[in-house]
Amino acid sequence: MARLGVVDEKQVGTGNCYSIPSFTMSHTTEATRARPRSQESSGWFTIPAPLAQLFKKFPLLTYPPNELPCRSPGLRDTPTLYVFISDEDALKDLPSFNPSCLKWQTFLKLAGVDFRVRPSNNHASPTGALPFLLPPYTPSDSKSQRPVPSNKLEQYALNNGKAELPKSLGTKLDAYESLLDHGIRNAWLYTLYLSPANLGLLTQLYIAPTTSSPPVRATILYQLRHAAESEILKSTSRDAIIPTYLYHEAREAFRALNTVLADEEWFFGSRTPGLFDATVFSYTHLILHDELPWGNRRMNDILSEFPRLVNHRNRIFQRCWLAST
Amino acid sequence: MSFELHVWGPALGRDSIDAECLAAIAAFRRIFPPSIGLWLQATIPLSAQIVSFKGSLLIVSAFPRLIIIIIITDTLPALFHSGSWTSGYTNIISYLEWNATSCAERLSDNDLTPQQDADLLAYSSYLSTRGSGLIALSLYASPNAWVELTRPAYSALLPFPLTWTIPTTIRAAAIEKAESLGMGYIAAEAEADEAAAQGTAETTSTGFLRLREQLGPRKSMQPEQAAAIRFQQLADDFFTTLDELRGTEKYLLRTSTPSSLDFLAYGYLELMQVQTPFPILARSLVANGRPCAQFLQAMRAQSQDYVLPWKEPAPRRLPRTMLAFADGAIESIAGAGESWRRWRRGGIEKEEGRQAQSLTPALVSVGSVVVGLAAAGAALILRGIPSFGAATHRFEAPKEEKGLHRFGEIGAMLDVLPIFDQPPTPSSSI
Repeated sequence: MARLGVVDEKQVGTGNCYSIPSFTMSHTTEATRARPRSQESSGWFTIPAPLAQLFKKFPLLTYPPNELPCRSPGLRDTPTLYVFISDEDALKDLPSFNPSCLKWQTFLKLAGVDFRVRPSNNHASPTGALPFLLPPYTPSDSKSQRPVPSNKLEQYALNNGKAELPKSLGTKLDAYESLLDHGIRNAWLYTLYLSPANLGLLTQLYIAPTTSSPPVRATILYQLRHAAESEILKSTSRDAIIPTYLYHEAREAFRALNTVLADEEWFFGSRTPGLFDATVFSYTHLILHDELPWGNRRMNDILSEFPRLVNHRNRIFQRCWLAST
Repeated sequence: MSFELHVWGPALGRDSIDAECLAAIAAFRRIFPPSIGLWLQATIPLSAQIVSFKGSLLIVSAFPRLIIIIIITDTLPALFHSGSWTSGYTNIISYLEWNATSCAERLSDNDLTPQQDADLLAYSSYLSTRGSGLIALSLYASPNAWVELTRPAYSALLPFPLTWTIPTTIRAAAIEKAESLGMGYIAAEAEADEAAAQGTAETTSTGFLRLREQLGPRKSMQPEQAAAIRFQQLADDFFTTLDELRGTEKYLLRTSTPSSLDFLAYGYLELMQVQTPFPILARSLVANGRPCAQFLQAMRAQSQDYVLPWKEPAPRRLPRTMLAFADGAIESIAGAGESWRRWRRGGIEKEEGRQAQSLTPALVSVGSVVVGLAAAGAALILRGIPSFGAATHRFEAPKEEKGLHRFGEIGAMLDVLPIFDQPPTPSSSI
């Protein structure tokens, strides 16, 4: 067998590859004839001639290679933001349906970063939560495609954006941010995830794209609702969820935001919209978005009481999505 | 009808161990002159009293500007007045605005401009999220502070078996708050340390001698020290935010009389000044003559005006305490505790105020099946265990070996052969 190996190597070396099987075949048949008993065991490992002939006929047909799915990374010279979004909306570069994804999508647009959005889910993210951004590929830098998690996106936008962003807006921003992160977010979580009237919308957005199997869907629905419930309880430090109270808090929060916006164009008297504007927009846009089939329109009713916020949302939408098309 | 304010009892040299309770006490001192009948009761949460309050909601009056909502849950501080309960600092102040005439006179909450009103709401929210997160870090999540200060303080406040259940529940909630600041790992590290300290075996599991661990700077530091830089940054940001709101004025919203926000800030700052084993928060508060520290001094001086009448809680009967203990114990069972809490405390209400169709019957049936299976399994295992006092090893005398077995294994193999009796030897016949 060792000799066989050497001969094979020579054959490969001359580039005469296709002749290897036939040569091996004839050699072994000769060997079996020449050395009757001692080398017979090697016969077990060789392929009988008819079988080899049969195998040579394969493959009968070679299909052309599959095309890559449209959401796979194609052009690597543009940064890609992975968000919760439907395939069609991603192709049209429309807003995401998830507030935290929409916040960063809007902010990157406000900062003048040139990027594309792609649909994804939490399992794909290195941090376990969307969004994350894949920077463009540069052959010289092996670390160029290291994903940017959402907590570093602000710095990324500052470094890579072309538009001017507001400078530090003072510490008031922190206080008002807590209204968004608690008062408004709790009411949002309740409305989308826990309100029975919105079950259809929740299924359409988060459950239907993942699977069509009813038991898996039921499990995912339970997990989503459970997560939303524990988030609300953690934030309110109470033992029960009382929707009237959550909506009351959300209305107060919107009232405060409406007051602090006053008659300015952007929040805190800034000349250009910034991250805070993007955060407010991420909720107000989704609440007011007519194409989402809201079953429970309570948040919509509350927000409609504050025309300044509605106009603010329209201004941002105009700037980010309508101006470019 | 007198007002009864139920709060967590005094600890750590303060009137109460809880920031919102401290704020409520300070606000009550301001609102009610000493002549008005007012009782302050040190108590423990209503949940522990097994008063069966389901979260219920009562809209007292629809006012153009604000709907006052009274929520009965088991959160302290809680106010009892005219047969109804109100809980939570903000709700109590809202309630008092319409039910105590002196409140409107002595607090500036009703005379604020819309901008100040918005600030009041935003900064109240900021205090109760970021502020309570920082306190959770310094007093609860930090393992040294928990062991040396907070846990003993709760032990002094609570009757005996409840010291096992309530403080751990409170700490678990506090660690979740610390996690929202991105610093939940302080508590987790301590647990890992404890686990490592217990495993003092000198050999590894494969039998080799364990090498002594190299203690790098990170390993030799306490978890609080390792987290100090980030903690310090969070604390500085927090105090700067409050300082910039107040500017050079006396009160936070730059009003002439204090607002409810001032008392809330006082409650949080008072607890932040507690000297913990690693007083990062307290040190940051008093550093560089920070205006926050001066504000705290001024508020403290005001609230020491007079001593509120204080009623000690009535001694609790044993069965109620034991019921509360059982409740807490069931809540801390992994897996089942959460369902129990949802079932007992109400879960999610419908928007009209009625109880939402809940999974209670399904949960009860699933739970009883699980409990039944567990009981059956336990019974089987118990029957398999030797009774108490029975010998765990039994030694039996070796059997008398006959025939070819005497020759060991080879003998056993040859055992199938017929054995012939040995014929008498000629010598023996002689």
